[in-house]
Amino acid sequence: MTKYILKRIFYLFLTLLIIASITFFMMKGLPGTPYTNQAKMSPDQLKMMNHKYGFDKPLYVQYFIYLGNLLHGDLGTSFQFNNQPVTQLIGDHIGPSIQLGLQAMVLGTILGIILGSIAAIRKNTWVDALATIVSILGLSIPSFVLAILLQYYLGYKLQLFPVALWHGFSSSVLPTLALAAFPLASIARYMRTEMVDVLHSDYIELAKAKGDTSRQVIIKHALRNSLIPIITVVGPMAVSIMTGSMVVESIFSIPGIGNQFVQSILTNDYPTIMGLTIFYSVLMVSIILIVDILYGIIDPRIRLGKGGKA
Amino acid sequence: MDFFRHRNLISVALIGAAALTLTGLARPVHAADDSGSKTTLSISAKAPVNTMDSSLNTDAYGAQSLNNTMEGLYRFTGQKLKPAIAKQIAAPTNDGKRYTIDLKKTKWSNGDPVTAHDFVYAWQRMVDPKTASQYAYIYSGIKNADAIAAGKKKPSELGIKALGPYKLQIDLDHPIPFFDTLMSSSQFYPLNQKVVEKLGDQYGLSSKGMVFNGPYKLKNWKVGDTEWTDVKNDSYWNAKHVQLHKIKYYYIADPNTGLNLYDTNVLDRYQDLSGDTARQLANSKQFKTDPSNSTSYLELNQKKIPALKNAKLRQAMALTINRNDLSNIILGKTGLPAHSLVPSKMSKNPETGQDFTNDPQAVADRKYTAYNPTKAKKLWQEGMKETGQKELKLTFTADNLDTTKKMAEYIQNNMENDLPGLKLTISTVPFKTRLQRQTSGEFDMVTSAWNADYPDPTNFLDLMTTGNSQNNGKWSNKAFDQQEKAATTTNANDPMARWQNMQTAQHILTQQQGIIPLYQYSTASVTKPGIHGFQVTPTGQYDMGAIYKK
Repeated sequence: MTKYILKRIFYLFLTLLIIASITFFMMKGLPGTPYTNQAKMSPDQLKMMNHKYGFDKPLYVQYFIYLGNLLHGDLGTSFQFNNQPVTQLIGDHIGPSIQLGLQAMVLGTILGIILGSIAAIRKNTWVDALATIVSILGLSIPSFVLAILLQYYLGYKLQLFPVALWHGFSSSVLPTLALAAFPLASIARYMRTEMVDVLHSDYIELAKAKGDTSRQVIIKHALRNSLIPIITVVGPMAVSIMTGSMVVESIFSIPGIGNQFVQSILTNDYPTIMGLTIFYSVLMVSIILIVDILYGIIDPRIRLGKGGKA
Repeated sequence: MDFFRHRNLISVALIGAAALTLTGLARPVHAADDSGSKTTLSISAKAPVNTMDSSLNTDAYGAQSLNNTMEGLYRFTGQKLKPAIAKQIAAPTNDGKRYTIDLKKTKWSNGDPVTAHDFVYAWQRMVDPKTASQYAYIYSGIKNADAIAAGKKKPSELGIKALGPYKLQIDLDHPIPFFDTLMSSSQFYPLNQKVVEKLGDQYGLSSKGMVFNGPYKLKNWKVGDTEWTDVKNDSYWNAKHVQLHKIKYYYIADPNTGLNLYDTNVLDRYQDLSGDTARQLANSKQFKTDPSNSTSYLELNQKKIPALKNAKLRQAMALTINRNDLSNIILGKTGLPAHSLVPSKMSKNPETGQDFTNDPQAVADRKYTAYNPTKAKKLWQEGMKETGQKELKLTFTADNLDTTKKMAEYIQNNMENDLPGLKLTISTVPFKTRLQRQTSGEFDMVTSAWNADYPDPTNFLDLMTTGNSQNNGKWSNKAFDQQEKAATTTNANDPMARWQNMQTAQHILTQQQGIIPLYQYSTASVTKPGIHGFQVTPTGQYDMGAIYKK
């Protein structure tokens, strides 16, 4: 097991190195410079600034300098937010993004499990059809469209929630609903499929034959067994919600990290682009690692290196 | 499965209860706590403030925040330049090269006096290469500024010195006719050396520890914040004229959100409207536009496409654009029709007070940009014959913004309809790409824009001089260059001769259509009734100390 975990951690660092490298070179390929006043600066001044920030060095030198700093935990300082360390920028803005991501995941997961279970239990009835429609809508309507609709109807028209801005829990309700739609729909689909399978398993028949009530069959056997595959999707989905929340954050004027990411790309803020990409990557690969390790613990057959089966 | 029928209902009931609980918990922030107050203003911002360091700021949003909280030698209220820290607007001596300015006894918000030394320190810091200010070039013309910025002289050799705690002497390399207006800009504000040195590289990154000498103090702010508050500065020398006690700024990126917040009274004013939102509101009584010192124009690459050296072809292209339609329909009134590179409502005739763009010569020159498809076709055919062209295929590069795309399509449609043999292929790219292509000359025709650093026609006309790095189309005209040179050198101290030089230069550029003017940018906004005093200054800011609610 230790070997398996160490191997996974090695792959984690390798993945991060590849992501950091690809992002670095792609970012350097972006047109323009990070200077906001580029159009008005004289060629001499541009040269001086490039020298100050090391942009006059060969690209591979800049790359190794960046990696060296990264190893020391230094993500550099933002260009857009003059001299602000990127780590501090992330620290200052991650709060709302995490809150929204967690709320959306918890809400989406719970409602998704309930909806999927009901659909499976009431298979081929109008309830199932309704659950399917809800799932399809949740999967097909982009979160930003839903965000605009929620803002307009629940915020502006009905005045149930704040239209936008970040003033306490009430401000998080609409963006949470907008972000929860996708995990809700996704998990509901997974849950329905799994539970339909489980409900047709022999051990369910056995449990029924033993005289268990419907309630006992569902709670004890069907629900628990159907939940295992959900673990796989929940982790990466949480990260994708956080990364995907940038447009929703923008619509609701939320001071989260997504907003910063968009701004950094538009302004060629190299250190911030790199810092945020690496931050999101660390989150993603860490969650994948945890899921892999959990699987390794739950099912030893999954561990790599045992008979070459993955 | 009877149980689950009930469970089903129970689940639905639970969800319903949860939703109701959430609704109950939510106390909508439909109006800011103190909105409706006569002394608090809530206002939108299109971008956050990136720095409060006046030496390092480069954008209009930071400049507005600095304008609210800091005070320089002079201050614009509307179009009027008034003495601020300076006792009066000082006239130059020594052929326009020396200014001696007496200062009022004013204070920073921590009680320290604002002295001449604070100006000397700030100005020297600005040109010091160690500061790496992207705006250092704006000091060009102040004695030794260029040499200091290039690292050839010490910052202490800059042409500014304190003749006493409240007396300042400024020496220039050559007269700068618009120097008074320059000194009202944020790049020329004083700095409290003690505070700046104490905060080091953290200066301007947060309001903590900062001191202010303007109408307001910035409170509880740090870079990246999407909301910030200015509170009245009781230490401000002119505090009795500042009526608002608090200005709350909200960074709103999405226009629909901005409008919803405005309609639900969270915002008293929603500004920087554009595109569809502006078109939607253009007929509202609360809608207003303030022209800014920015012009949008087309550049034609004469180096890459030699046929474009033919003036008739350029003139013909200019005549196909109906600038009224472009402004009213395409831009939703967020732009004014531009007939020249120099924008309107920026500079006035020193004797008559006539706007630069309303001078008789400028008015007569509007014929070169008046929509006239018949004349356009005639000139085009003559030009094509002169250059031996049967057809001209050009790529039209523009920004990939909604409004710019619509504008590009409008221009493409008009030009292709009116000019036989012209084929335009639109290429919309991100702003930075467009800028790079412009600079490297990788374009045939491109939309360009210029925003004034200081409100003087030379800030625009200079762009088109031969060899200027912003003259991307490589249009060149000796007579134009001579007029421009005279305006900034030999006639710099003769306001009327200088005015005539600039008018003549403008006439040559317009007659030749060295660039094709499109529109002048405007700041569009909606403001609740009863809020007064919003007057844009020639530097594109609002003097927020002058705003009041009735």
